[in-house]
Amino acid sequence: MLKCKGLVALSSDLLDGELTWKQRIAVRAHLAMCVRCRRFIRQLRISQRVIRQLPDQQAPDLEALLKAMQAQQQRGAETDQGNAQK
Amino acid sequence: MPNEQDLIQRLLKGEQAAYRELVQQYQGAMRAVAIAIVGSASADEVVQDSWLAVVRNLQGFAGRASLKTWLLTITANTAKSRLRKQRRDVSLEDVSGPHGTIDDARFAADGHWGRAPTLWHTDSPEALLNEQALRECLEHTLATLSELQRSVLLLRERQALELPDICNLLDISHSNVRVLLHRARLSVFATLEHFEETGEC
Repeated sequence: MLKCKGLVALSSDLLDGELTWKQRIAVRAHLAMCVRCRRFIRQLRISQRVIRQLPDQQAPDLEALLKAMQAQQQRGAETDQGNAQK
Repeated sequence: MPNEQDLIQRLLKGEQAAYRELVQQYQGAMRAVAIAIVGSASADEVVQDSWLAVVRNLQGFAGRASLKTWLLTITANTAKSRLRKQRRDVSLEDVSGPHGTIDDARFAADGHWGRAPTLWHTDSPEALLNEQALRECLEHTLATLSELQRSVLLLRERQALELPDICNLLDISHSNVRVLLHRARLSVFATLEHFEETGEC
């Protein structure tokens, strides 16, 4: 019989669909009768969504990066032109 | 994907707004890959070099892979060549966040909960994230995880990469990815639980 501790150990695999069919049956049976583990899994899914929605920290030097990319792109275009003229 | 094709066409025409969109959309994922491979000290340089490689090679991007996969592969390759074959060991050292994790101490000897998870005041991630203090607290937790753990978590949860893709990009085994992800998730869970219980970080 799967205990709460074992269920927690399998919780990430449950979220990622990585359980074997045997584990899946054991997890389902345990969740059917354990309100605390149902709460744990529900809140683990919430914390997963929280991380998904946590605002991204943008790199502070976005403008500098874009300038460097533009310069690279222009170099590329000049090289192409040069090659075409050869 | 039609939007992706459209974006690529605009990039090929050299449209600067398209480059801005591209960077804003994928910079986070690229940083996560770079940090996992070379560490945060050199990650920004690797990301910058990767973007320049992207611009150089955009003409040759044939759309065989998704744009995201292509960008992340370039990043991983740039990061790996930076390492010059100095293979970093995958550290599975258990670095849990500042609020601990869900470990043995939470369970009774019979394997059932000793201290059960408390009920949170809301089921809504939006409501939780409305609190500035909690957002900062989560940033703090993420910052205290190991670089590899944090990257794996971000690539899985925020970038929705499949586990095999994470394994390939970072050259780590499937079972190691699962361990890293599980520990990171439990640390985040413990932070949210702590915040729900105490109202502070």
